Amino acid sequence: MDNLCQQKIQKYEEFVDKRLKPDLLHATAQRDTVFEQQKIFADLRRNIENLEKNSVTSLRTMVNLGSEVYVQAEVPNTQHIFVDIGMGFHVEFTWSEALNYIEKREETIARQIEEYTKLIASIKAQIKLVCEGIRELLEFPAEKPSPQRIF
Amino acid sequence: MGGLGRKGTVTPLESQFPPEEVHKATKQFQDAIAEKNNELHVLQRFVADNNNLVNLVQKLPEQLSHDVMVPFGKAAFFPGRLIHTNEFMVLLGEGYYADRTSKQTVDILQRRGESLNSQVDSLQAMINNLSSFVNVTDSEVAGGLVEIREEYLEGDSEEEESESDSAIEDVPSVGNDTSKEVDYASFLALMDELEKKEALAEKNGDDSDQSEKTTDGFDDSPYQRPVDNNPQNIEGSNEAIPLDQRSNRNVTSEFPKKHNHQEYIADQLNFANLAVQPQVKEGKTLAQNVKSIDRSAKPPIVPKEKISQATLASKIEVQHQTSQPSFDSLKAFTGSIIEHGENLEKASREQSSTSQVSGSQPLKPVSRFKMQRK
Repeated sequence: MDNLCQQKIQKYEEFVDKRLKPDLLHATAQRDTVFEQQKIFADLRRNIENLEKNSVTSLRTMVNLGSEVYVQAEVPNTQHIFVDIGMGFHVEFTWSEALNYIEKREETIARQIEEYTKLIASIKAQIKLVCEGIRELLEFPAEKPSPQRIF
Repeated sequence: MGGLGRKGTVTPLESQFPPEEVHKATKQFQDAIAEKNNELHVLQRFVADNNNLVNLVQKLPEQLSHDVMVPFGKAAFFPGRLIHTNEFMVLLGEGYYADRTSKQTVDILQRRGESLNSQVDSLQAMINNLSSFVNVTDSEVAGGLVEIREEYLEGDSEEEESESDSAIEDVPSVGNDTSKEVDYASFLALMDELEKKEALAEKNGDDSDQSEKTTDGFDDSPYQRPVDNNPQNIEGSNEAIPLDQRSNRNVTSEFPKKHNHQEYIADQLNFANLAVQPQVKEGKTLAQNVKSIDRSAKPPIVPKEKISQATLASKIEVQHQTSQPSFDSLKAFTGSIIEHGENLEKASREQSSTSQVSGSQPLKPVSRFKMQRK
């Protein structure tokens, strides 16, 4: 009986350590990348709005060649902007089109973040559940567990 | 064994380092090697990037402008072109940028490449070192190596030594069985005897060591330098160094001594001003260190006033002594003084009339310290 109990506990612990926790890590990492994208597009939108406000028609900027070596670059016509739409494709937009696109894109990104947050929460809940199961198997008193970070 | 007067133990290496432990250690080493390999790959990628950049920077000024997509943020581009293709802005570090031409930029990048290459080389050497270590360990474990420990007996005759040499060479082939047959009672008795001998020998050795040190220590004594280094010494004592030194020591408690020192000070100030300037700010620490040296070096009768006089003198002298160009770091400086102090204490207690040595030798402790620094 005891032996069986031990085996079960071991199985549950393995499930937590080898399945749930890596999943949790993965989900958090993915959510971070989406956060990154959200920031990029927010920046882009702000920049385009700035250009519009100041009615910039030509632009001079510095281009990073790598290893922090910069060259001057000139943009003769800022009306057309190429925006990354994913999978390595860039679409030529005017400013208003670009702003529309960015708005839609930000919506999707927000939804993705929501999804990932939910996923993370459910994984955490599962971890907690399994831990609780282990506690029951060990027949510890059902006292309030000390505030402990699971992840 | 007993007849030879030699006792030894033969332990198979396996018994000291069990195979699983060895495997664990080897695994750790292999992990370390893998880690280093990753670092190496990263570095090699940097090197490749750097080379590409050098090519690009060299090529850019060939045309007046290049049509490119100018990045605008991370997700957008403008169609545009590179202008002023012979002007580059290079990050020097810490947020400082420099305007450079293509040629100068290439120089900078090549210097970066050199440092990257040297890093790659050192990493490569480290990996080679680790892997060779692993190989050696593996082969040693596989070969069933044994460790032989044998007492060293002093006063053994030549034949015995040659005999025992052959014995040592025999042992590995004989294997670990011989060691089990050691007569432990006689062995322990012999050990006791040896320990006694060792203790005795240690005492003797200590004495000889210290007498050796005394010569060193005495070189640093404050009285040495002024005589050797002051050509204008009014006393005219520099002709007869050893005698004069001793007489100087003998009259420490008398007035002329004080007088002497004052002259030394004056001389030294003139003489040392040329060389000692950078050390002046360290005078305080020096004075503290040297004070302790000085007290121990003097006979206890000396009045305090005179001690302070001598201290002042010796302070300047020590400054001078150590004012060699390669020797200006503050830390190293105080370190050397402390070392001298230790030597000097022993010296003054045990031997006060050590023969004086020529003027070139006071430099010796300094060079010895330099060796330590390396």
